[in-house]
Amino acid sequence: MVMRFEERRGRIIIHFLNRWRFEWVVEPRYWRNPMIATFLWICIPLLIPFTPSGVIGIGPMALLSTLILANVIAISALAHSFQTIGTGRVNFGPHFFVVTGGYVAALLNKSYGVDPIITFLSSFTITALIGLVLSPLTVIARGIYFTLITLILPSILHEFTYWRSDIFGAETGIPGIARLISTGSVIYDLYIYFYTSFIIVAIILLVIDKILRSRWGFILGVINEDEDVAISFGLNIGRIKMIVFTITSGVMGISGWFITHYYGSFTGTVWLEPWMLIFILLSSVLGGKGAIYGTVIGAYFIVLLREVLRSYLRETALLVLYIILLVLLYLLPEGLWGLYRRRRYREYMPSVRIRRKL
Amino acid sequence: MLQVDSLTKRFGGITAVNNVSLRISRNEIVGLIGPNGSGKTTLVNLISGFYKPDSGRVIFEGIDITGKRADERVKLGIARTFQIPKVIGNMTVLQNVVYAVIGSKRFKERKMTLAEAGEEALYYLDIVNLLRKRDILCRDLPIYELRLLELARALALNPKFIMVDEAMAGLNPTEADNVAKLIERLREEFNLTIVWVEHVLRIIMKSVERVVVMSEGEVIADGVPYEIVRNIEVIKAYIGEEMIKI
Repeated sequence: MVMRFEERRGRIIIHFLNRWRFEWVVEPRYWRNPMIATFLWICIPLLIPFTPSGVIGIGPMALLSTLILANVIAISALAHSFQTIGTGRVNFGPHFFVVTGGYVAALLNKSYGVDPIITFLSSFTITALIGLVLSPLTVIARGIYFTLITLILPSILHEFTYWRSDIFGAETGIPGIARLISTGSVIYDLYIYFYTSFIIVAIILLVIDKILRSRWGFILGVINEDEDVAISFGLNIGRIKMIVFTITSGVMGISGWFITHYYGSFTGTVWLEPWMLIFILLSSVLGGKGAIYGTVIGAYFIVLLREVLRSYLRETALLVLYIILLVLLYLLPEGLWGLYRRRRYREYMPSVRIRRKL
Repeated sequence: MLQVDSLTKRFGGITAVNNVSLRISRNEIVGLIGPNGSGKTTLVNLISGFYKPDSGRVIFEGIDITGKRADERVKLGIARTFQIPKVIGNMTVLQNVVYAVIGSKRFKERKMTLAEAGEEALYYLDIVNLLRKRDILCRDLPIYELRLLELARALALNPKFIMVDEAMAGLNPTEADNVAKLIERLREEFNLTIVWVEHVLRIIMKSVERVVVMSEGEVIADGVPYEIVRNIEVIKAYIGEEMIKI
């Protein structure tokens, strides 16, 4: 039988080809809030053209572009957040992988006219391969060494783009790249790009959520907490960390691919600047440490706050933004997600409830 | 069951374990004692695979495991506890043991669900008498219960051989007595082979069948407990040669 349904412990379990299993909790209180959040996330952007531009100081077009950028940041931040959980190391060079993915898409499309679908696969594969080459660092390098190595990588790429400006275009970038879609109407295009990026974020979010709720969620959680304990459980932590680093590097490359085909040009030096690193890191930390949904909230919050501040303050906007973020880091140790859900232990740990009489 | 041949481990200029050889039979309970810095925990780390030896071999059930990683050794049935209990403080007692069940080979082989793993974890918590504490966060547990939790977690790995590293440290006499009885009971019920590392012989005297004494990285004595307490080399190692002359 291709598909088999089963009802067990208040869950509908779908067995697919007797190999894969999907569970869906029947109890409404478990899916009510996610459903409401998803509904708002999909529908609020539809109201943007009807919103007076003076409300938060941003016009409808600029607001849609901001939400698209928030999705781009969210893709990288989700991958980065998952990478941090699974490797127990904080990567300070996520933008290196974003830009690598962007350059792969830009060069393939510009030089060889490769279709965006193929550039998507290429960006993912090549950044994942670079991730694979670098992944032993998650085992060998600890603490400050891992931090420094990952911090230096974007700088190397930055200098490389200047050295080979004939290929990478340095500050001018690579123009004339095919856009994902062009309807002729700016607003329609923006909506299509918003919902495309939204779908990418949603898929990544669901996949990570599914992993974290499975056996692998436990395994990654224990690696994150104490590597010695993980080893004493018989886990090959080196292999797990390398796999996580490789795949998440590829996912970061996807956000570079999207940037390239959204703007129709790619200037790596812009995305290699420190603001990109700060936005990615703060999205996961300020969104909620280890809370994967909080990472998306964090990305939206930071990008929107920057645009609002820009519209009112202009030159001092970024200065004020960083000060606000600094204060919030102090005030919200559990992040924005922590405001929604205060739990005693970390969110990424799946909880087990067993009924047994004592 | 376990054979250690000429095991040596150096850290820079210091030889922490020097040419140590050891044989442990199935279902035996062996005490490994020695003063601070004698190399006991380093030896445990070498046997469990946390450290790689500079020379020598470790053979477990006839298989040379010297080149195997620590996680591969766990799968062969070697478990350990830590001198300073290593638990995941943000997790409940139950979840800490569930981790061990999930990490084990049988979880995958039997295609167990998380709930089934949880039920199995409860069984091990029941054995060490921690069932009532199952929903308490580990960071709130006293040292005695942390020691019990580490034993429950080691049991959940379905081991054949356990190394208990200073399970009595920080415990009062009643708690130490309880832990000693529990370790003896575990050996009987689960047919385990146990290496019990302690700082002081008196604590494990009644429980172990054989004692291996280490000093400055070397094995200086190996015998039954009542012989060991009279061994002049052991006395020298613990209280010093000058003190004996006085």
